[in-house]
Amino acid sequence: MTEDQRIDTVSSTHDAGAQPSIEHAASSAAEQSSSSVPTIEMRHVDKHFGDLHVLRDINLRVEKGEVLVVIGPSGSGKSTLIRTINRLETIDSGEILLEGKTLPLEGKELAALRSEVGMVFQSFNLFAHKTILENVTMGPIQVLGMPKKEAEEKAMELLKRVGVAEQAAKVPAQLSGGQQQRVAIARSLAMNPKAMLFDEPTSALDPEMINEVLEVMVELAQGGMTMIVVTHEMNFARRVANRVIFMADGQIVEEDTPANFFDNPKTDRARDFLDSIKGH
Amino acid sequence: MSANVTSMRDVLYEAPGPKMRRRIIIGTVISLIVVLIGLALIIRQFYVTGQLAPRYWELFLKPTTWAFLGRGFLGTIQVAVTAGAIALVLGMVLMLGRISKIAPLRVVSRIIIDFFRGVPSLLLIYFFFLVIPKYGIRMPSFWMLTLPVAFAASGVLAEVFRAGVNAVPKGQTEAAMSIGMTDGKIMSKIVLPQALKIVIPSLVSQLVVVVKDTTVAYVVSYPDLMQNARVLITNYDVLVSMYFVIAIIYILVNFGINQLSIWMARRSGTRIITRNTEDPI
Amino acid sequence: MGIGELISTYGEIYLQSLMKTWGMTLISFCLAMIIALVITVMRVSPMRPLRMAGDLYVQIFRNIPGVSLLVIVVYALPYLQLTLPYETCALVTITLVVSAFASENLMTGINTIGVGQIEAARSVGLSFGQILRHVVIPQALRSVVLPMTNLLIGTLLTTALASQVPLNPPELTGMVNYVNSRSVGGIGAFFISALGYAGTSVIIGLIGNRLDQRVRILR
Repeated sequence: MTEDQRIDTVSSTHDAGAQPSIEHAASSAAEQSSSSVPTIEMRHVDKHFGDLHVLRDINLRVEKGEVLVVIGPSGSGKSTLIRTINRLETIDSGEILLEGKTLPLEGKELAALRSEVGMVFQSFNLFAHKTILENVTMGPIQVLGMPKKEAEEKAMELLKRVGVAEQAAKVPAQLSGGQQQRVAIARSLAMNPKAMLFDEPTSALDPEMINEVLEVMVELAQGGMTMIVVTHEMNFARRVANRVIFMADGQIVEEDTPANFFDNPKTDRARDFLDSIKGH
Repeated sequence: MSANVTSMRDVLYEAPGPKMRRRIIIGTVISLIVVLIGLALIIRQFYVTGQLAPRYWELFLKPTTWAFLGRGFLGTIQVAVTAGAIALVLGMVLMLGRISKIAPLRVVSRIIIDFFRGVPSLLLIYFFFLVIPKYGIRMPSFWMLTLPVAFAASGVLAEVFRAGVNAVPKGQTEAAMSIGMTDGKIMSKIVLPQALKIVIPSLVSQLVVVVKDTTVAYVVSYPDLMQNARVLITNYDVLVSMYFVIAIIYILVNFGINQLSIWMARRSGTRIITRNTEDPI
Repeated sequence: MGIGELISTYGEIYLQSLMKTWGMTLISFCLAMIIALVITVMRVSPMRPLRMAGDLYVQIFRNIPGVSLLVIVVYALPYLQLTLPYETCALVTITLVVSAFASENLMTGINTIGVGQIEAARSVGLSFGQILRHVVIPQALRSVVLPMTNLLIGTLLTTALASQVPLNPPELTGMVNYVNSRSVGGIGAFFISALGYAGTSVIIGLIGNRLDQRVRILR
């Protein structure tokens, strides 16, 4: 990604742009936590899949502008955790709050809320029958009621930012995985989300494409986007995360700054897990 | 049909909230009532027209009825199995012709395949029943039924086989070529065995078509299940009950064959190829 | 009797017969599409009784032999106080059978979409109706072009069932019988009818293939 495609402040309404460094961002997020309402909050959340207890008493606060990385072995419940936040998964008990308001259970309210929380999937999930441009304009036109022309202008701007503007007229299958994932990010950004959820966004990518997606995410984070990212990319976590949570068996086992977590994990489970992924 | 027909309908709707759950419950109750009323109306129609009277149904308690129908069913099986076997061989030959390196053979095979796929089996039966005898060829009714059914099936089977051959990875042929195997050897030792494995569930599902085609046996007066049922109908005057019972037997048999092929496809991780899934002519 | 002689004697009625076959194919295919749409909506609805009724409908009519259904419609239904004209009987039979297969095609079409795109659409904030309209239905329709083309050919072949009831003029298969009972039609009568079917199949196939190539979704 070249310098001129750099993402500056992603959301114009966002005022967290003046963060010169990561450390600063972390401390400012921490300061906010005591005073303001968190962007995302989970209280005593529990969920079962049949007999399997996939989320056990999850408590979590994500402040505005904060970047949280969720890490853990497969089956630990990390994907389920972020999927509950826009109710792609239901919960059995507990509470999920977005900007202090309880997550709606259904209907227009739920749809409206989802439009404010962006989601990026492992398998991109672009609409296969639509062009790249149409993928990005679908939400603004259908959900926000934006005029087509305006939506297209905005979409082109976003596609330029993520570096795939030349592909706008193609269909998803004609793009590489990395390009598709960047389009998926642009599709979410087109809705001016208050927060973005990333569910293993680079796990399905060939190694040479991982960085082009991570670059986009780093710039988003540096632009002040509130993000929860399920990923094993340690370098990404070290560069931009304010906090890392480590999950196992549906529980949050450890929670720390990236430096502390990666260099001195407190629990054996986290240490074993980090050893196993470092081996790769 | 694919083996996972039920998968998407469960994700089309997300987990319902309380309001939606209530609506679904109400909808379920209403739809249940509607379905039950529909069934009740059908049964009522049987009742008011006297078709539920014991005299229409008691013959199904007699072993002789089932023995006679059983003989007919045996006839159906004989035709279906023989036609199926002929269609397997003929379909394989036609497929090999269709993919052969000799251009005229390819063209001829293709024309025959498309012809058999493109005309109704009933027309082929009329050919054997009405046309051939005019040229002085006498044939038992068994063959007047079995041959056209087999020909109709062979066209479809040739395309099923071809889909199977195409599904064998190219690397297999390349690997065989690299160790110096001849074209014939590659086909018979490498490609065909794998292709056969891929199409077995599809071949089983194709049996349904064959069974259905046999039901016109009465045209040539061959004693299959349907023909024997007609005999009972005239003897006992039990038309409605008999036709419904026969229909249910056919449905169950074909349903069983379909389920078997779906099960086999699932077990071997293959896709069921039917004429609906292939390129049209 | 040679083919030339056949055409000069029966040319006009052959033409009517071809029209009859085409007409029956078109009518029953269109009706079957409408029924299949309703049945498929039932089968994907969240109401279990509707799903079960839809599934049952499909299993019955995709597994019943056409002849078995035709004799019920022609001979049994009058005993149940439902008497239909012969041609209607044939149309009803063909429509019921074809609709079951059409519904299976539609279900397969829906299945090709995948959970991911639906979840993505939900995440963007699209409502259920919008997801159906903009994501599910357009993709399902495009991916069923080829199966439906095959089914239209299948419908054409199924109309041969109508040769089992008296029609005037008869459709193409009945024509073989018609000609044979009046003169020594021999092989010529068979080939004219066969050509009618095969030719129509080829045309349908060509149109279907072209349409499919235009709307096919790259995956």
